[in-house]
Amino acid sequence: MLDVQDIVTSYGKIEALKGVTLNAAEGRITCLLGPNGAGKTTLMYSVAGVLKPRRGTIKLAGDDITGQSPAAIVARGLALVPENRLVFPQMSVAENLDAGAYQRRDSAEVAVDIERMYTRFPRLKERRAQLAGTLSGGEQQMLAVARALMSRPRILLMDEPSLGLAPLIVEEIFRIVGELNKDGVTIFLVEQNVHMALKVAHHFYLMEQGRVTFSGEPGKLAEDEVIQRAYLGTSREKR
Amino acid sequence: MAAVDLAQNTLDGLMIGSSYALLAIGFTLIFGVMRRLNLAYGPTIMAGVYLGTAAFISFGAPILVILAIVVIGAAVVGLYVERLCFRPFGEAARTASMVASFALWMQIEEAAMHLLPRHMNPFPPLLSAPPLQIGPLLLRADHLVMLAATLLIAGAVTYFLARTRFGLAIRAVIDQPRAAAIVGIHVQRVMMLTFVLASAVGGLAGFLIAATDAQVTAMIGMWATTKGLVAMMLGGLGSVKGAIAGGLLLGVLEAHAQWFLGPQVRDMVAWGLLFVLLAFWPGGLMGSKALDRTMAVGRRV
Amino acid sequence: MDGYLITILSNIGMVSFVALSAYILLLSGQISFGQQAYFGIGAYVAGIATVMWQWPLAGALLFGSLAAGAAAGLVGLATLRLSGIYFAMATLAFAEIMRIAAELFVYRRDIGGIESGPDGVDGFRDIRYFFANEFSPLETCLIVYALLATVLAILCIIERTRAGRMLRQIGEDPLLAEVHGINVMSVRMIAALAAGAVAGLGGGLYAHLMTYVEPKSFDIMLGVHALAYGLIGGLGTAFGPILGVLIDIGLLESTRIFHGYRMIVFGGLVAVLLIVRPRGLLDEVAVSRIRRALRRRRDAGD
Repeated sequence: MLDVQDIVTSYGKIEALKGVTLNAAEGRITCLLGPNGAGKTTLMYSVAGVLKPRRGTIKLAGDDITGQSPAAIVARGLALVPENRLVFPQMSVAENLDAGAYQRRDSAEVAVDIERMYTRFPRLKERRAQLAGTLSGGEQQMLAVARALMSRPRILLMDEPSLGLAPLIVEEIFRIVGELNKDGVTIFLVEQNVHMALKVAHHFYLMEQGRVTFSGEPGKLAEDEVIQRAYLGTSREKR
Repeated sequence: MAAVDLAQNTLDGLMIGSSYALLAIGFTLIFGVMRRLNLAYGPTIMAGVYLGTAAFISFGAPILVILAIVVIGAAVVGLYVERLCFRPFGEAARTASMVASFALWMQIEEAAMHLLPRHMNPFPPLLSAPPLQIGPLLLRADHLVMLAATLLIAGAVTYFLARTRFGLAIRAVIDQPRAAAIVGIHVQRVMMLTFVLASAVGGLAGFLIAATDAQVTAMIGMWATTKGLVAMMLGGLGSVKGAIAGGLLLGVLEAHAQWFLGPQVRDMVAWGLLFVLLAFWPGGLMGSKALDRTMAVGRRV
Repeated sequence: MDGYLITILSNIGMVSFVALSAYILLLSGQISFGQQAYFGIGAYVAGIATVMWQWPLAGALLFGSLAAGAAAGLVGLATLRLSGIYFAMATLAFAEIMRIAAELFVYRRDIGGIESGPDGVDGFRDIRYFFANEFSPLETCLIVYALLATVLAILCIIERTRAGRMLRQIGEDPLLAEVHGINVMSVRMIAALAAGAVAGLGGGLYAHLMTYVEPKSFDIMLGVHALAYGLIGGLGTAFGPILGVLIDIGLLESTRIFHGYRMIVFGGLVAVLLIVRPRGLLDEVAVSRIRRALRRRRDAGD
């Protein structure tokens, strides 16, 4: 579904991604693990078109989307749940969902989808008229996921959905990730919570200092080692 | 007698203030999406008004044609300002945007001087009905039209922002630009169209002001920039409601100050109020709730 | 040297003070629309000192500069914690209040048989110190440049010290500077005091060179021009704002090549220039490149 080939993205002279190659297969949950500063968020933004890679290609369902605008990429069926959620704080929950469906013209269907979101996330229904900035962290995360789903994506990118949330809510989020995947949405997930990620992922990658250093199925590597490398990187292990 | 004076001043102030409110609405929209100051906003309006005046002087164009020329002229010049001063810069180069817009201010003013070299030029009056008498109070008919037009435009802008798809996009860009891009909004296009829309609203304000005065002076550009800015700041930066409140307040305040203290002190009172508000109450009139956000936005200029 | 050239040179010198004043605040990350207020205060105070109190020029200029600095300090107390558009508008509001105050300010006394002193909107005329003491235009011009060179030298030295680096650090990221243990408020206060004093010195010189000053001399146009000069010339060095003044007044205004179209040319030029170099011609990158080239040449010469 998503094919990333040898991507290089830099901020000024600093290369955050030094040639990343990976792919997220259709209908599966692919997970990207790695320590802070490995370049995971940069990769997410590069795929979503917010950052422009300097080199390499990104393909979505076989079509080259490298360097296209975020709007064009959304139109091709990719949606991003960004790091730190980035809801629209001064807009209501309902308006946030409307904004998620910005590119859609089928307003009747959009209304149906909004009701579906309310069924899936009952908390959002309770708070539909409330400003998103006043929601709790967990509720904002639900909203960010629901907003992304409003564009009816074929592939959903999620950047650290568990960040800063209580364990119970993290469980809830991952339960939803599993459900969405069962409904046929391809998921590409960046996580720090190795334990939860390995539980849901079909395939995972390890990324360190702008490079992919491991690719395999959960179980191929002992969870301890994954945790070690995902949090600390191999550099320390070698010392 | 004093009570009548107070009432009459307040009434006059509301009328003048409605033109300030229109200017502030345009300023607020541009500042909201760009988060940068457009100093060329007043001169943009001036360009539209001058084109309309030139059409009036040269061909005796009818007033509706002049209205169209003013609004379209301001929108086109607004697009020019956006292209040269805002589009090429990221949010990181805010000062550069502002200084570039100042450079275009100088440019537009000089071009306008070539179009109409005289300091003062005639403009067709809106209507020449006699003033209305309401008890002891006098009300100019054209002032009433201006107030009504302001309320209409403010209502239309509010409706547009709250109820239309493009309005949603504008609010999304104002609220959280990166998230707006992520959900598939063409942020740059929204910025450009908002800029053009705000410039057109400014043109409308300029037309109403010039028609009420039945004349245009070379000071209109500077005047529109400073009055619009002060009204926007008084309103707390960042909401259409605040812009209207700020404009009306400024108008009423000036009317009273002019009556009791004279025209020089009038301007001093307005600036003084702004200074005190900024130093001690930077959220502005409508700002208490949205203070954190507007401060965060304002800081970025 | 002919009179016209000297007038232009003096003009460049005087405006440079306001440009430097705005530049100092720009370095600290603050955009001021109001440095012209201190120019005006310096002009009026120094003028009153020589005309009304018969002070010598040096004392009057110093006093004008100090008065402007003190005013900047007071304004700073109220405004320095603001930032962005809030600071810009507060400084503009203060400058406009001062300009209107000057329109209302009347202080007339009989000095040697002639009534002199600030006279409201008509301004303050007959500040004839240079004339009365028989300075030639060249001499006055030299005074302007000697003082400008002194200010520039001080600024250049400060920029190479820890204090100067702190100022730039605050300008780049005040929060980060705070984390690094820099007292942002006090550094900004010092910058505001210095900026006020520099503008005040320029104002004092202006009043005496022109022999008059009026409220219109320090309206918003002067302030925004001063700001623009820094961005045109570059924010990498104190020579940047001077370069900006040179380009505008020296090249465009005085040569009269674009007479009647100067602003059309200048405005377009500035906008395009800023697209290419958003921090001006002599931005930080250019300055460090020039420094390296100079060092290489010096090393090669050794």
